[in-house]
Amino acid sequence: MNGQNGFLNNKKRVVFNLLPALAATLLLVGYGMWSAIAQSFQSVDGEWTMASYLELFNSLAFFHSLKLTFRVAILSTLLALVIGLVMTRMLYQFFRDSSSKVLVWIPILIPHFVAGYLVYLFFSQSGLFSSLFYQLGVLDHRAEFPVLVQEKFGIGMILTYVWKEVPFVILMLLPVYYEIDHRYSEVVRTLGGNKWDVFRSVELPWLLPVMVETGLILIAFIASAFEIPYLLGVTRPEMLSVRAYEWFYDGDWSKRPLAFSAMILPGVMALLLAIFCIGAVQKHRLRMIKGRNR
Amino acid sequence: MRFVFNRLGKRELVTSLMVLIFIGLFILPFVVVTVKSFSVGWRFPELLPQAYSLNGWRNIFGDPSLKESIVTTLKVGFYVVLLNLLLSLPAAKVLSTYSFKGKSMIETFLLSPILIPGILLAMGLQFTMIQFGLADQVSGVVLVHLIPTLPYAIRIMRAGYERLGIALGEQASVLGAGPFIRFFTLSLPLLLPSIRSLMLLTFVISLGQYALTAIIGGGNVITLPLLYYPYFSSSNEAVVAGFSILFALLPLLFIGGVEILLRLVIRAVNRV
Repeated sequence: MNGQNGFLNNKKRVVFNLLPALAATLLLVGYGMWSAIAQSFQSVDGEWTMASYLELFNSLAFFHSLKLTFRVAILSTLLALVIGLVMTRMLYQFFRDSSSKVLVWIPILIPHFVAGYLVYLFFSQSGLFSSLFYQLGVLDHRAEFPVLVQEKFGIGMILTYVWKEVPFVILMLLPVYYEIDHRYSEVVRTLGGNKWDVFRSVELPWLLPVMVETGLILIAFIASAFEIPYLLGVTRPEMLSVRAYEWFYDGDWSKRPLAFSAMILPGVMALLLAIFCIGAVQKHRLRMIKGRNR
Repeated sequence: MRFVFNRLGKRELVTSLMVLIFIGLFILPFVVVTVKSFSVGWRFPELLPQAYSLNGWRNIFGDPSLKESIVTTLKVGFYVVLLNLLLSLPAAKVLSTYSFKGKSMIETFLLSPILIPGILLAMGLQFTMIQFGLADQVSGVVLVHLIPTLPYAIRIMRAGYERLGIALGEQASVLGAGPFIRFFTLSLPLLLPSIRSLMLLTFVISLGQYALTAIIGGGNVITLPLLYYPYFSSSNEAVVAGFSILFALLPLLFIGGVEILLRLVIRAVNRV
């Protein structure tokens, strides 16, 4: 590839091509993060202080928000990964031709808050499932239907995220399933292994890096997303993102540092988790890539 | 029916059952919402609408602020997609072709916008954006929409370039094609599937942003999500349902328009 523009050597070409994307990311993430951290340590008058963090750690409401945020993020991610994996395993042959792949793309097409509306439509006390059970004679009154949406545990939010992320997981895992050399599965079966052995020794090594990456993306996204909790959450406890957004737009500017520090904590945790997981998978992945070179 | 079941093996049966479950879970709700948008007062405990009308849709298209916001949304989406293409194409090409020191660090860094809370970054950037006159503007909103979209764009294009390989490019180069001709006659047509998924996904993500748009747009850039929340609390359920369907229709409209544009570009280039 050195023919036409040989005046650019490889190193320069790498830098030149990567620069726009790197600069944009550095500006948005690097500067945004730095500015957010700086503002979390400043009072309204510009003095440097730890006050916002101290206030957060002394607030019971903050810990309730933190607990709810982690619960929703972890449960939704795990459920989406498991359901997505099972569905991909059973359906990858079916999704092989691209016309049926449209089915997976349809739920991806709609924004999260529309998914939230769907959950509300079907699962609220006056929703369609409630109507169905009423018509079947199971319920005498709508109040007998369990409160699944806009309650304290976050069931409505978890349902929404699982529904919305399962197709995402399927889309991430499908290419991996097409890459797997399924003759190995036959080897395992010939040697007397059962389905679980096939999964563990043939599929899992291929799936693991992508599963970890998908799980990281999901957990980081759900822990900080605003759209669904704003629609389906309750006022107490609130998800952290909603709490932070309200502090940010509070008429009183003295609450702004709180908004920053409240979001920095889950951000830092997501980053640490990412570094840990990527480090753990890297070794594994390198071995795989080397093994793939024929 | 029994004949069909006997013909199918157990494995096929399980697969078709799973397909039905998938369709029931992920496709059927859209049918229900579409029906709902044409219904009149479909409330608890009715299982089916008692009457149908076009009132919901009439209400939606009678709202002047909505028309304006559709235009704004499409404008923001168009620029977001364009910027993503311009930034991700060269980066993805390099990442798929060369290996160099610090590559995995750069990859992790490019993925970081979706690991760090977007709402935190937007709040952090807001003050600076005000100083530079980017806040309350479409341009500022387009910039923050890069946070949740760019990592996906790079990922998709990278996979596309990896599938393409470098052999064809080398061959074209040997035959004397310059970088411009190589891109338009070789990479662009062959990368079209990846480019299509990139455009669809980045447009859809941009369409789904409420918090980022609200923080940087400052109530001045009104995209559709900003109207959706007040509609959601309104009592007219057919309107909410219709509005929800609109969100699924816009990406299709956008991708249809872009498809025509792409075909024209490729035809024009191939004619030269």
